[in-house]
Amino acid sequence: MNKDEKVSEEQLNAFIDGELEPEEVSNVYDEAEQSAELDQRLCKQRKLKELVKLAYRDVPEPKRRSHVRRMPSSVLGLAMVASVLLVLGASIGLFLHDFLQQKSPTAGYYTAGNPQTVGTMENYILHVASGDPEHIKRALQTAQDLLSSAEPGAPRRVEIVANEQGLNLLRSDITQFKNEIRYLANENVVFYACSKSIQRLEEKGVVVKLVPEAIPGYTALDRVVLRMKDGWEYIKI
Amino acid sequence: MAYKKLLIISQRRAFRRLLANNRDRLYRMAFAWTGNPQLADDLVQQTLLKALDNQKQLRDFSAAEGWLFRILANCLTDYRRAKREFLSGDNLELVDKATPENRFKEEQLVQKVRNAVQALPINHRQVVTLVDLEEFSYASVAQILDIPVGTVMSRLCRGRRALRERLLEIKPHESFSPAVKIKRVK
Repeated sequence: MNKDEKVSEEQLNAFIDGELEPEEVSNVYDEAEQSAELDQRLCKQRKLKELVKLAYRDVPEPKRRSHVRRMPSSVLGLAMVASVLLVLGASIGLFLHDFLQQKSPTAGYYTAGNPQTVGTMENYILHVASGDPEHIKRALQTAQDLLSSAEPGAPRRVEIVANEQGLNLLRSDITQFKNEIRYLANENVVFYACSKSIQRLEEKGVVVKLVPEAIPGYTALDRVVLRMKDGWEYIKI
Repeated sequence: MAYKKLLIISQRRAFRRLLANNRDRLYRMAFAWTGNPQLADDLVQQTLLKALDNQKQLRDFSAAEGWLFRILANCLTDYRRAKREFLSGDNLELVDKATPENRFKEEQLVQKVRNAVQALPINHRQVVTLVDLEEFSYASVAQILDIPVGTVMSRLCRGRRALRERLLEIKPHESFSPAVKIKRVK
């Protein structure tokens, strides 16, 4: 703070950021009314803040996002309203269902090691990021458990998305689980291979060959977020 | 028991909405910090995956946004450690793209401001953008970046001073399109 400055730079920042107490705000206003120089400093600080906001109002999308369909904000808004109504309706339905029938409360929250607690109404996306065969086996077993625990007449949808070391599950030259994959794919389990993990391997000079059941093209996260937006349950194995 | 179950379901759905609703904000911040769309996207992906893995750590939903931005800041720190990059103006190429005659003035201005922001040291850049873009309070920024509030204020001060020095060189006729001209603040 210069000797001549009655309001320091820190105070000015705090003023424009709304961090000052009302009394201090009033003091700064008083000082600014008496000092054209302070008034000008205030203007510049505000202008700077607005410039930074303006510079990042619209930011460029990363190139690889382009394959993911993104909804315009108006559609997204409608979708959000629809989601809220859906959640509300589902919650009321679930509440009445439990309240009236007093069914087992075990359905609902799921953990990978406890398949008997699988919910009855939801679809699942399983995420495998480990190359440990035990992890991979657990993922496949979980998918099978989820399918078999679905109620008759209400088929459940299950997807497995593999990234990082978990990609080993879907690499045809590495995986030990071709038969299991084929079987689950026949049961309508869909397998996704993370495009980013593939890209990373290829950048290291690795030729990535996938089993025919694997679908590339999405990043793991894009797929997970997409499905979560659809109301699917996410399970990290 | 039904209430408990409903509570769990609503919490999980709220968490999903939290991630979906904040993705673009996180991306904008990551882009402001790195100036690189691909890297920003990577950081956001890591952030959301970490958030999913650690969602049980989030006890207070009112603090959720700060929690997400803190994960983002940690992801950037990890990235810089791994790559030994400092993402400062010293080692970033400042691109001032050639401007065709028909280019919008606002685009020129946006590029100049982004260049100026990228030229800031990363510590200053993070504070300035968290305060200016997301309107986080100084206390929240202190929590997100795990630094004292006094440090937030001093970094903000130095960051804005540097921005002011760079951007004040913009001539008045270049600086604003009529649509974004601000009024004098009393």
